Amino acid sequence: MALDKLISEKRKRQCAKLIEISKDIVRQAFDKFKLEELGITWTGGKDSGLTLWIIRQVCQEKGISLPKTMIIGEGDEFEEIEQFVERIKKEWNVPLEICRNEDILKAANYRLNALVKVKDLNERNREELERLGFEEDEFPFEAESYVGNHLMKTVVFNQFLERNRIKGIFQGLRWDEHPARFNDPYFEFKEGGDLMPEHTRIRPILHFTEKDLWDTYGGFNIPYCVLYERGYRSLGAKTTSQISMEGVPAWEQDLENTEERAGRRQDKEKAMERMRKLGYM
Amino acid sequence: MTEIISSGTKRGIPGNIEMPLAVERLPNGHTLIADAGDEAGFGSEIVEVDPVGNIVWNYNEGLRFAHSGRRLKNGNTLITDTTNNRLIEVTPDKKIVMNSDEWGSGTGKLSDGSHLHYPNEAFELEDRTFLVTDRNNDRCIQVDRNGKVIWAFEKELQHPHNANALPNGNILIADSDGNRILEINRKKEVIWSYGDGSKETLWWPRSGIRLKNGNTLVTDSKNHRIIEVSPHGKLVWIFQTEHVDKFYITQATKEDSFLIACTGHHQVIEVDRAGNIVWLFRNYRRPAPIFARLANGFFKELGDDGNPLHWVLATRLSEGGGKVVWLNNHKPSSCPGLEFDRPGTLFLQQDIAVKPGSTYRIGGDIKTIDVKGTACLMVDFFDSYGASLYRDITLMPSGEFFTGTIDWTHDIFEVRVPPRATYAELRVSINNSGKVFVRNIMMNLI
Repeated sequence: MALDKLISEKRKRQCAKLIEISKDIVRQAFDKFKLEELGITWTGGKDSGLTLWIIRQVCQEKGISLPKTMIIGEGDEFEEIEQFVERIKKEWNVPLEICRNEDILKAANYRLNALVKVKDLNERNREELERLGFEEDEFPFEAESYVGNHLMKTVVFNQFLERNRIKGIFQGLRWDEHPARFNDPYFEFKEGGDLMPEHTRIRPILHFTEKDLWDTYGGFNIPYCVLYERGYRSLGAKTTSQISMEGVPAWEQDLENTEERAGRRQDKEKAMERMRKLGYM
Repeated sequence: MTEIISSGTKRGIPGNIEMPLAVERLPNGHTLIADAGDEAGFGSEIVEVDPVGNIVWNYNEGLRFAHSGRRLKNGNTLITDTTNNRLIEVTPDKKIVMNSDEWGSGTGKLSDGSHLHYPNEAFELEDRTFLVTDRNNDRCIQVDRNGKVIWAFEKELQHPHNANALPNGNILIADSDGNRILEINRKKEVIWSYGDGSKETLWWPRSGIRLKNGNTLVTDSKNHRIIEVSPHGKLVWIFQTEHVDKFYITQATKEDSFLIACTGHHQVIEVDRAGNIVWLFRNYRRPAPIFARLANGFFKELGDDGNPLHWVLATRLSEGGGKVVWLNNHKPSSCPGLEFDRPGTLFLQQDIAVKPGSTYRIGGDIKTIDVKGTACLMVDFFDSYGASLYRDITLMPSGEFFTGTIDWTHDIFEVRVPPRATYAELRVSINNSGKVFVRNIMMNLI
């Protein structure tokens, strides 16, 4: 069933409340920082999409343009996401910067899983590898490995902050997406460190559960990438993201009792139960 | 360069109390402590300390993860030597006068053909026989000094840790994985019980004792509290510390105070009814170093023992099994792994200094072969006294859980350092049986 048909008026009012909380965070961010000091991270996925939509509401209210928005090109993207991003960029007039670690892409010859030799990389990337404690001479080009993740995402993110002198950056994280997020604050100041500029992370939609999020998409007709209709619940790189239920839209899946980031992972709850039964400490 | 923040001490130093599990106040006012030892399996001993904290007697010969030492009427000490699956009786001058390994013509077998399996507690009864809590056989038994089983209770128990006799002859059992305390009579009828099986009521109770006032004092370990329960099941008193501490055994003293073995802060405390700590014994120096950042995560350096340098093979909970193995054909470098073959759990671990509130990304590659339980990367966080901040292992942050045979897989997870944490313990973990290999482990502030 179409997403917007599933949402009652009462539920829509509940979602409006959640949006108000988020808008308030966004307004605080605009009070704290100048427009040109703010940035937005966008992936084309559902979380950053909702965040972008909410920031846009506040910008329209204030009669200002959207802050500079970054999207990371990992070299392993879904065409559907690229098309979606292209469409929204035009419709919403998003000042979009596509950020890539060109040096790595080049060293990998733009081929997934190609071996990248550390000696072929530029100084910045070599320094980053050293900082991580990476000790090998080469690594395969994959966005989901520790090294790939760092070079393709973290470094690119830090460089975006540096280049644009960003002081506050919006992120679409939610408390319920992962246990490591449970204690994330709405505003988190990050001290500058090795190759990372000082900045504040702003997370307006932390309080949305996965269900709240989809109900909000439905209730307010927010556009989303078509892949979610085909059964994807969480989108990452193309070759490592998996459909969690074939043909079942994300919002019709059992959002509360199953893992959002499931895939090759086994059921963590079952594993926990087994660990408990083994009866140690 | 490897920067060490705290170098740690030599392992197995006598008198260094790493993990006190059982306590008792002796008639002369001294305190007998059973120390299970450190995470690598060193330093288990029975220690007697006087009121000012002098160590006046100890026994440590060959003990592995000993859970209890009890002074007998004849002045000897009965030791439950858990990982060695035996009971021994030693004299004050440290001679073994009874050893359960000699039962059954040297097979260590009891008269019913069984063998003690991970015994946790043993008390002497009036008739000089022993009441033994035989954990992994899910039972408590009465045996004589020759291994003859006189009486046994093995109905519906799940990993009991402590059984003790009451003056009326009944037995009080801490049925730990059943989350219950049971009082049974000699006809094996349940006379009284506390706990409905839920973790909210009792979570892994390790001991129950009957007080003079008729109430029962329960060491509710994973709820990190001591509770007093009336015969009608009403909660009448609670003791709990601010920090998470895993209490193991509590004993009442003549003065109506309570002696508690606190594994978290590596100490024994005596607490009065108002919750004041009126006596404390702590003699702990941490054995493992703490590093400024993850060291040798690529396993290129070997230690003298042939294991990866700076990593500790933690066998404390491995019930006697487990070792490091290497996947030597692997290019470009060797990958260490853990091989394990029994219940319990085995870790390869390292301690790294952290700052509360900061976030780390941890990851590496994992490969498993025939893992029956679970293998994973996990992190435990500790306070400045060396106590884990988590009540239970299942609450600790971890990467993916792997079961069965899975080829090299990237695993990355993020953790936020909780308040009070001073260091993280990064672990490669396996339980039950199988092999897990790791390579290129990294941990960085993000």
